[in-house]
Amino acid sequence: MRTDQLMNIFGRLKKALSSRKSRRGQVPFIILFKTFQGILEKNNRILDLMAEMGDKLGGDYVFDKQYIVSSSQEMGDLVYKLIYDLDTIAPRKYFDLYDAFQRISHEIEEELVGRPVIPQADLVIPFETISRDSGDVVGGKVANLAEVHNILGLPTPEGFVITTTAFKAFMEYNKLWDRFRQEPMTAEVGKEMRRLIAQGLLPPDLKRALQQSIEKLQQAASDKKIFLAVRSSAWGEDSIHTFAGQFKTFLNQPAEKLGDRYKQVIGSAYSPSAIEYRAGKGISEDEVAMGVGCQITIDAKVSGVLYTLDPTTPEREVMVINSVLGLGAPLVSGEVAGDQYLLSRTPPHELTAVNVRRKPSSLALKAGGGTEVRSVPEELQMRPCLATAEMLRLAETALIIERYFKKPQDIEWALDKNGQFIILQTRPLNLQSQMANLVCNLTAAVQEYPVIFRGKGDIAQRGVGAGAVVIVRDDQDMEDFPAGAILVSKYTSPRLAKVVPRASGILTDVGSPTGHMATIAREFRVPTIVNTGEATRVLRPGQEITVDAEENVVYEGRVKELCYYEFSEEPFEESYEYRLILRVLKKIAPLNLLNPHEKNFAPGGCKSFHDITRFVHEKAVEELLNLDFQKRKLDAPARRLKLPIPLGLMLIDMGGGLEETAEGSVVEPGQVVSIPMKATLEGMIAPGMWSTEPMSVDFGSFMSSLTRTFSSSLATPKYMGQNLAIISKEYMNLSLRLGYHFSILDAYISDEINDNYAYFRFLGGVTDLQRRSRRARLLAELLEAHDFRVDVRGDLVVGRIKKLDAARMVERMRTLGHLVSFTRQLDVKMVSDAEVENSKETFDRLAAGKAPEMN
Amino acid sequence: MNEDRKTQILILDDEPIVWKRLKPALEKAGYEVEAFTQSSSAMRRVQEKEFDIVVTDLKMEGVDGMEFLTDVKTRSPKTEVIVITGFATMETAKESFQKGVFDFVAKPFKRGELLEIIRKAEAKVFGK
Repeated sequence: MRTDQLMNIFGRLKKALSSRKSRRGQVPFIILFKTFQGILEKNNRILDLMAEMGDKLGGDYVFDKQYIVSSSQEMGDLVYKLIYDLDTIAPRKYFDLYDAFQRISHEIEEELVGRPVIPQADLVIPFETISRDSGDVVGGKVANLAEVHNILGLPTPEGFVITTTAFKAFMEYNKLWDRFRQEPMTAEVGKEMRRLIAQGLLPPDLKRALQQSIEKLQQAASDKKIFLAVRSSAWGEDSIHTFAGQFKTFLNQPAEKLGDRYKQVIGSAYSPSAIEYRAGKGISEDEVAMGVGCQITIDAKVSGVLYTLDPTTPEREVMVINSVLGLGAPLVSGEVAGDQYLLSRTPPHELTAVNVRRKPSSLALKAGGGTEVRSVPEELQMRPCLATAEMLRLAETALIIERYFKKPQDIEWALDKNGQFIILQTRPLNLQSQMANLVCNLTAAVQEYPVIFRGKGDIAQRGVGAGAVVIVRDDQDMEDFPAGAILVSKYTSPRLAKVVPRASGILTDVGSPTGHMATIAREFRVPTIVNTGEATRVLRPGQEITVDAEENVVYEGRVKELCYYEFSEEPFEESYEYRLILRVLKKIAPLNLLNPHEKNFAPGGCKSFHDITRFVHEKAVEELLNLDFQKRKLDAPARRLKLPIPLGLMLIDMGGGLEETAEGSVVEPGQVVSIPMKATLEGMIAPGMWSTEPMSVDFGSFMSSLTRTFSSSLATPKYMGQNLAIISKEYMNLSLRLGYHFSILDAYISDEINDNYAYFRFLGGVTDLQRRSRRARLLAELLEAHDFRVDVRGDLVVGRIKKLDAARMVERMRTLGHLVSFTRQLDVKMVSDAEVENSKETFDRLAAGKAPEMN
Repeated sequence: MNEDRKTQILILDDEPIVWKRLKPALEKAGYEVEAFTQSSSAMRRVQEKEFDIVVTDLKMEGVDGMEFLTDVKTRSPKTEVIVITGFATMETAKESFQKGVFDFVAKPFKRGELLEIIRKAEAKVFGK
């Protein structure tokens, strides 16, 4: 269905529904409950689907655009029905959800038809806070450079980016958008655009944001007046397309000129050559979004360009460094040639050719702004720009960047007055065709290298890396770790994180692909195979090997062909489908509504489908709790269950779930006779499960622990979240929110074995990725140990079991009860992989009814 | 794997991403791979050359994968055909198997899964 059609339908539906007379109080409870169950089911399917789509980013799957389209549609359909369901429970109360839904689905639709939406982000963002994959906000060039600094930790100029959001704001503020979207883009229209942009005014909030950013930079620079390089950073620039030389750059600009320079840079998006470039590459005008990087001027002693692989003779495996004295602009523009050095790509990067050229002049910073040409003293003209040690340093740095981006790189660099190399820009060298020629006979080539092991261990990060084996056992080994080597270690340890960016590949004996090491390896994109069982035993220090973490093979020797093959392949991350699913997922998966007590916990705060899903779930539970049972003439009010643990839990009995004697608004655990509920409760309150903290012995702390419990139970249920159980004799549906964890238990237990089932879903909350993945692993292992069929997707854990006899089902429910209480405290604990094992032991001991070990 | 010559595989899918992701994995596994996005060119190619294994999508813009695989099986009954499709229904699966298709894989799939099926198909082609 087309978006506009869809919008129409929403509009009509909204109108129809809002004119509907309230029938609240007339909807029978059983229908409300069925609707509630429907919400839970859809909620589960949505989370599953989200995780399935997320899995596709991992690289194992082959998927096409059709998949992205159809799963987005299914997702939209489910979310829409979810909103509809909530509307059944609470008619017209959360109507604004339809607006949120419409907005988000419209954005997804636009992405799918190839009209990328410029995201809503800050107008100006400091480089150091740019996160990965934010190319659509900051533009390609700045995104690359931010990763070089923020992930690889290499020096880059300080500064900030004026985002694509600001570009959009500028275009809208000056009403330029509509104009050029009406006419086909030609050189003529482009000229008019440039004129209008030059005359345009900066929106006041952009002006303010720029002023603040400049002041901040100025403060950091203390009394020295700052000057800026103003550079384009368009969508796709320096990643998919180079746009080399298409856009304007201004060097050494005083802050007060920034506004004008900004307009000139974005105007250059409409220069005749840029328009032609887009036409030639099939880039639509809708894809024009210009970020602008503002970097503190680097007073370079020497500048240059490094190619990590000589494009003219790639088979010779050399890097090329071209360098000039002073600023690099004349070299980059091709006006001068500069010195040229060729270095081997393999450590220790032997110098294979040197060509020092006469440098009669250099470009230098002019006092007060801009640049000027200066003549170079006679005696320096024939001196090489770089010393050998400097070249080596530069070469190592360049290869770190290449390994990260998985392509030979074209790097602009500067050597500052302190002798530090600063990376100014990096982009992939397009060598695909040359590479393909080099690897024409891959199979034959690969067969020449002995396989050391194959199919052992788990791939944690794909890719191919070659180098010398370095077995890391202690901190000293880490200090000495040479760049480009293969890191081989018995264990995965967070301490190894230090050397990961310098490694070409990683092999470990033990460890899990969801563990800490895997996370770090993925962060730095270092090809990694964990849990090989024997890497440290089989491999010798210094041995040259190739890790093929695509096919899970380790070869003896440097399999150049494989490395080249990697270069010749389009990296999965660069493919259109990868970028599309990533963009679509950005509108689906992020969870912004965390705390129901925050102001943004409202339909208007929903920025993703996940937000809507979360909101609907929370409100559905709340609505069910607040039902006015008196009015409904129903004898199933929500009652508070009195528990020995500080947990506010409301019960709704649909029949036979409580002793007939149970009266009033508070129920004792002993009065619960629902088979699954009773077992779950027993599990939850089993000694030690809720808290394994040792019992206090002295009176004072005893009292304080009492009051602590007292006050936290007072704060329930509002504070601890809405916890609701709907029960009958055989049935239980329990929704729990403990801290930031969400659990759902749904079970039916009777004498009819075939009807029996239990479903457990756990979704973790805000903690770092490693802890979450450890917690998911722990849960999965514990559930599996009790015969559950388990699916783990990210931090979503689902366990299912069915068709056991009643006694066995009851045991499983007790275990789930244990887990619910036990996992409550896991967040803080999951600081290391070892803690997973510890927790497992503690859990087993507690489940067996033994007191936890004190330590 | 056949000792004398590499096993010949043809991939047809109108979405380039499919063969872009498959070709490297198959080549590294020792196969010779030709990939097509247009069924007309794939059709022409199978008239010139006999492939051991054909991997094809079913529903493509303008053409019918079913037609293509029928043609392949008629021309060269020995060739094993593996269908990959994003629109898996019982009917299409049934029809494919009736036409003598070796296996039927729903998209999206893992590269390893397809590789496994190709190995089995290969064993059948070479009577191992």
